[in-house]
Amino acid sequence: MKKTIIYSLFSILLLSACVDNPNVTENTYLNTPHAVSSWVNGLKRQMAKTSNTVNVNVAITSDNYFNNYSQYSKVFDILQLNYFDPDVNALQADVQALREMAIFGIEKVHPSDQAATEQDLAFMYLCLGYANILGGELFTGLPETTLGNVITPKENLENALEALDYAIDYETDTELIAAYHLLKARTHYHLGNQEKAITEATKALNSPSLLYQIQFDGTSQLANEMQNATYDALPNRLAPLPRLDFLDPKYYSVGTPTTDQKPVTLVKAEEAYLILAEAALAQNNILTAKENLTALLNLVEQRPVAMVDDSGETRNGGNRTDYPLTAVKVKFDNASTFKSNLVLNRQEGNIEVKTISGTHVKITDIENLTSTDDLLYYVYLLRQEIFISEGRRLTDLGIKYPISQVEQDNNPNVADEYTIAQIPAFVADKALDDFSTDENGNISISVDMNKIIVENKTDNTIVPFF
Amino acid sequence: MKKTLGLHLLFAILLTTTQLLYANKKSVLAEQKELKNLIEELQYQFNEIEFIYNPNSFEGLLVNNYEIKASESLQINLHNLEKVAPISYKVNGKTVALRREDKTQSAQQYTITGTVVDEQQIPIPGVTILIKDTSLGTTTNMDGNFSIKVASFPVTLQISYIGYQSIIKTIESSATPLHFTMKTSTESLNEIVITGQGADVRKKRLPTKVTTIKSEDLEKIAAQRIDQQLAAQLPNAQINFTGGQAGATSIIRARGVNSAFLNSTPIIYLDGVRLDNLNTQAALGGTSQGAAMSAIADIPMDNIEKIEYINGGAATTLYGSDAANGVIQIFTKKGGEKGTHLTVSGETGVETPTADFLHFDKTKDLLLRNGAYQKYNLNLNGSSDKDFGYNFSTSFMNSSGVQIHDQNKNMKVDFSTGFKAKIAENFDYESSFLYVHNQYKRNRNGNQGGYTGLWFAEDGASKITGPGFNNRLDELTPEEFNEIKAFVDNAERLQDNQIIVNRFTTSQSFKYKPIENLFLKFTGGIDYRAQEQNVIETNEYLSATKGQEITDQGSIQNIQRNYLGLTLELTAQHTYETEDFSFISTVGGQFFRNKDHQILYSGTNIRDGALTISGAAVKDSDEYLSEVLNYGIYAQENIGYDDKLFLDLGIRGDRNPSFGSNIGTQFYPKAGLSYMMSSESWFTSNLISSLRFRGSYGIAGNLPPAYVHEKTIAFDGYLGNQAAMFGQIGNDNLKPEKTQTFEGGIDIALANNRVNFSVGYYKSLTKDALFYVTSAPSIGYNSASQIQNVGEIENYGLEISTQVTPIQTEDLSLSFNASFNTLHNEVINSNGAPAFSINGFSSRTLQTVVQEGHPIGFIRGNHGTFDENGVLEESTPQSYLGSTIPKVFGNLGTNFTYKNFNLFASASYQTGAYGANWDAQFRYLYGAAEGNIPAGEIEANERKNWLKFTNRFIEKTDFLKIRTIGATYTIKPKNKSIFKYMVLGLTAVNPLNFVSSSFDPEATISGAAQGQGGASTGGISYATYSAPRQFLFSFKVNF
Repeated sequence: MKKTIIYSLFSILLLSACVDNPNVTENTYLNTPHAVSSWVNGLKRQMAKTSNTVNVNVAITSDNYFNNYSQYSKVFDILQLNYFDPDVNALQADVQALREMAIFGIEKVHPSDQAATEQDLAFMYLCLGYANILGGELFTGLPETTLGNVITPKENLENALEALDYAIDYETDTELIAAYHLLKARTHYHLGNQEKAITEATKALNSPSLLYQIQFDGTSQLANEMQNATYDALPNRLAPLPRLDFLDPKYYSVGTPTTDQKPVTLVKAEEAYLILAEAALAQNNILTAKENLTALLNLVEQRPVAMVDDSGETRNGGNRTDYPLTAVKVKFDNASTFKSNLVLNRQEGNIEVKTISGTHVKITDIENLTSTDDLLYYVYLLRQEIFISEGRRLTDLGIKYPISQVEQDNNPNVADEYTIAQIPAFVADKALDDFSTDENGNISISVDMNKIIVENKTDNTIVPFF
Repeated sequence: MKKTLGLHLLFAILLTTTQLLYANKKSVLAEQKELKNLIEELQYQFNEIEFIYNPNSFEGLLVNNYEIKASESLQINLHNLEKVAPISYKVNGKTVALRREDKTQSAQQYTITGTVVDEQQIPIPGVTILIKDTSLGTTTNMDGNFSIKVASFPVTLQISYIGYQSIIKTIESSATPLHFTMKTSTESLNEIVITGQGADVRKKRLPTKVTTIKSEDLEKIAAQRIDQQLAAQLPNAQINFTGGQAGATSIIRARGVNSAFLNSTPIIYLDGVRLDNLNTQAALGGTSQGAAMSAIADIPMDNIEKIEYINGGAATTLYGSDAANGVIQIFTKKGGEKGTHLTVSGETGVETPTADFLHFDKTKDLLLRNGAYQKYNLNLNGSSDKDFGYNFSTSFMNSSGVQIHDQNKNMKVDFSTGFKAKIAENFDYESSFLYVHNQYKRNRNGNQGGYTGLWFAEDGASKITGPGFNNRLDELTPEEFNEIKAFVDNAERLQDNQIIVNRFTTSQSFKYKPIENLFLKFTGGIDYRAQEQNVIETNEYLSATKGQEITDQGSIQNIQRNYLGLTLELTAQHTYETEDFSFISTVGGQFFRNKDHQILYSGTNIRDGALTISGAAVKDSDEYLSEVLNYGIYAQENIGYDDKLFLDLGIRGDRNPSFGSNIGTQFYPKAGLSYMMSSESWFTSNLISSLRFRGSYGIAGNLPPAYVHEKTIAFDGYLGNQAAMFGQIGNDNLKPEKTQTFEGGIDIALANNRVNFSVGYYKSLTKDALFYVTSAPSIGYNSASQIQNVGEIENYGLEISTQVTPIQTEDLSLSFNASFNTLHNEVINSNGAPAFSINGFSSRTLQTVVQEGHPIGFIRGNHGTFDENGVLEESTPQSYLGSTIPKVFGNLGTNFTYKNFNLFASASYQTGAYGANWDAQFRYLYGAAEGNIPAGEIEANERKNWLKFTNRFIEKTDFLKIRTIGATYTIKPKNKSIFKYMVLGLTAVNPLNFVSSSFDPEATISGAAQGQGGASTGGISYATYSAPRQFLFSFKVNF
């Protein structure tokens, strides 16, 4: 009896002495086949995640959107861009996760996988390039590598060019090559390299309706957050600047949102025309600028439009009183005249949703313009409207986020100067999202930031070609 | 043998302590022995002599105070025996003739008989009955009966038993049987404890304090869960409840917060088996703002014989790598008195919401109502003979809760059995089986997004929810109120959030005594806890609360958490005594393995009315798995000198797969001294009954989570394909954090134990404290936190407890107990690691934070100053706004007895901590109240600066909460044929609160923002329900 007890005790002990490890270690991963395909997918996923973080935060920080939701930043709207802010940290974490994943893919995963292709490598370089573009566009500086030296926006952009060259070399698909050229054009534009920007933009236009988009996957917890913020979540979390109301939402769903996640555009041909137009204006070539803008508006006209039921839209405040939900007129600033059809009544049936590009600007608006500044104003208005909800407006305003406190605490290379946000003085003193509503519900926006941009075009934080 | 074992399993009885007490008797008094046995012993000693006698004539005769002396001759031994026994002898060469010689006029001619029982009228076996100032005496048998012979009257009897107050009574005659009722003494240093020792040791031998709570004290407190029962009972620990909903988490802490990464909840054992003690949100499906559920809420609490509690530090060294927070051990009943005994008890009464802390009076009318509470218990116990004992208990508890639409109803069913059997003379078996079924509703709390009752009503969010309402609830017109009431009623009615827990716990132990001084004990058991959480959000609910028709967003979320813990422990204890020294050597090995498996499966776009996800348009799932394996061996030596000076030494070594690859076995040593000065021969004091000094040093640890030391790749899906990404950063040097504690204290008992006073001081330092170090964004891990051994945390404080019994007569007694604990907590070093949050929101708003130079979980937020016009002048972000850990805390209690009437009360208090009134800050934002903000600011900036002066919403959280006031009356009928006794009682639970804050200082969101099992100090008041009041009538009948 006692023996039986003792034997059974020992067998219990032996049986229970092993535990399951649910993890896949890095070594296991690199030593199992077909690592690259899952890594490339991981990069695509990260690219979507990065674009979410960038889109929502840039929308709030810029004049495009005002945040009514308690779990998004409540301070970016008032341009408090502190280095200790968790969203400031999250932004650079997502940008650098893309960069580090790309580097790991190029250096470790790709060489370890027999089945890896050159196209896989091209995509990894695209991610590296894109991460560096975002680094250069959005931050006062970023470490070049893991806990590395801090490099300036210019150096980040130059690194992006190098990566994009590799991507072009390894890629065979002409459409993708065109997209990479357009990314190069965007980079040269930021660097102020007029001629190179023109060259790359022209190459990109070999594919006249070029479109490269980032896909989302709601069933894998990767919903398009801008879609959620402007359409799916009720009440909508973000409220557009009244003059951009007609462009909201850019993304929408039919049926269960989880299964209908719209893509976000990373590269589109419209940008090439905008770069070419601005370059032409910098060269005082009004005619070419107008030609490019006309071509642009024709392209925008061809982009798809969906009819969507947006009757659920009830921006309900947060800590500001929002504008009416009916169709009212809007003035861009106090010096302008009221315009109709920009604020929509969403209860009167389906509204038009411009899923790729939309603008209220007509060819007739620019036909008769003669001055560089008037046209430049339209270039920036068009940039704002066409790129809305794509995470681009902040760079047009010359705003850059600081390096985060978490980085500085961990990384001795971060000098204090990088921990202060870049906010141009002509932006800092403006209330970007403010407006007033008169007794008829008509709206006067307090400032037209596109006018401010043109007025300060020679400032080296904005309008790179001037 | 197998048959016997089976029988033993079925019918078992024998109180654990009996044998020990019998053994103990030897050293206390000369034994009563049977004359027949003594003669046999003489024959054995002098085996060359032939004894002639009639054994029948000596049958049943007892002899006191006689020892055979082998060194003396047979003649002398027989001569001595003749003096004390009814015997005469004749020696003839090698033959001895013995004859019965009745000496009717000898010294022992009267027989006194009687019974000794405890306060519950349960007989106590093994009680020592001494004729005062002699060594003559006897002990009670299994039925509590005794019989003693005395020479003359009056005679003074001294009745004593470990753990009870001694009785001295002068007897005039032997005419009627005597009846003694013994009362428990709370601080008895002779009491035997096991927790932290591996095997049985008396308290006085230990250099650390062990708190014992007996079932009688636990039964007084009407509680739905074990931590509620203990809240006012542990003198040196603090138990606060972070919410009043069923299943809410609690914050249990003693000796400060020695970890910034691990929750301060002690580990909990039941009969030597580790229990699931998760007291924070789970990995899946919980939030730190609300909806966190505690595994402590359904720990079996029927059938408890006693609870032992030891503070972390030297006392818990033998528990090794995860015992730095202390240990609570529950012992269940395994038998009863001889025969079969049935006890039926019940509690019933009303529950009323605690509305003291609501900002708007109308909130109560909107969300709360009175409820009913009932609990019934049936207990069957007994023994067939001295080798078998059993105890069976079942109870049913049902509380309708105080929220409208039964949104907090709670139902619990317990079954438990305990057995004890003697398999062989030196082989004992004990077992306990416990099953708990708990089912409760849990409506939305904290801010779970959208409509949440308290957030809607109390935080002003009614302004922005649904159609939007006037959020100054107390200013509503009757029409407005009816409108908002209808909205809330509908919203509450449509919520469907249910938790079901099934828990099975068993402990099996074998005790084997191969030789006199060696004692082996094997304990094995499991705790299996299955928790199912279902959250159903219908389109109807969403439409009703969002104020617009929603047709395709109905969802069901199910989360299952299954916990399986296995504990195996083998202990060997050897005792050895020489003239002056006694040695208790203990060696043992403990092994435990916990598996925590969580599965989340959810469906969206479900038709209203569906209760499973099978019909969902979109289905989703997630999984979490954690397995912890720990094995350790320990050795302990307790050396006593002259029963007054005790040296205690011990060490435990642990291995665990959660340690980094560079980390081997971890060792935890301890050493301590206990000195009973009052046992010195020169110590003669009429005032001081006992005086003891103690001091110790020891190390205990906290384990890192399983496998976080590995560098991993994580995966998710992306458009139907596998997507790989960086997982954990990895740390090859990850090891347990270790808390070393120095402590010293004095335990003193005055005036015949009427005043007990214990004062201690401890200082502990947690080295290699595990901190969540947020990784730099540049390393690409998405700012994942990595656990690193980088911190140092200091705690020190005084622990004072006292019990005073100013009145104690045969009929009347009055006692008070109080404890006073001070606490200093500070993160003294973080090695440059950035601050991290353990509760709250974002780093730009309000958080409780771990940061060098401050206490763990201090409140950090924006500090605003105002100019002379009351307009915000400056706001400093991330300012220190106060500590959430109290500087002083303790318990108070009183007990008054007059004959069969008993009145008692208990309370807890704290002072020196702060809390953030986040509710008030939201009320300010939404214009529902002005709070403490100057009118000038509101005029100049409206409400837009609401986050910039969080300092204006910080309040002191001092409190004195009366936990229980109760009275009982015991009826003992003369004719016991119907029932033996009946106890009737009235109890008020949570009757009175005296607090310095406008919110409930306890009901602060549960925290543990770093995830499952994370550190938590509470400190933020945010839409959390307070525990309701209960007024209960109870009865208990023993048949």
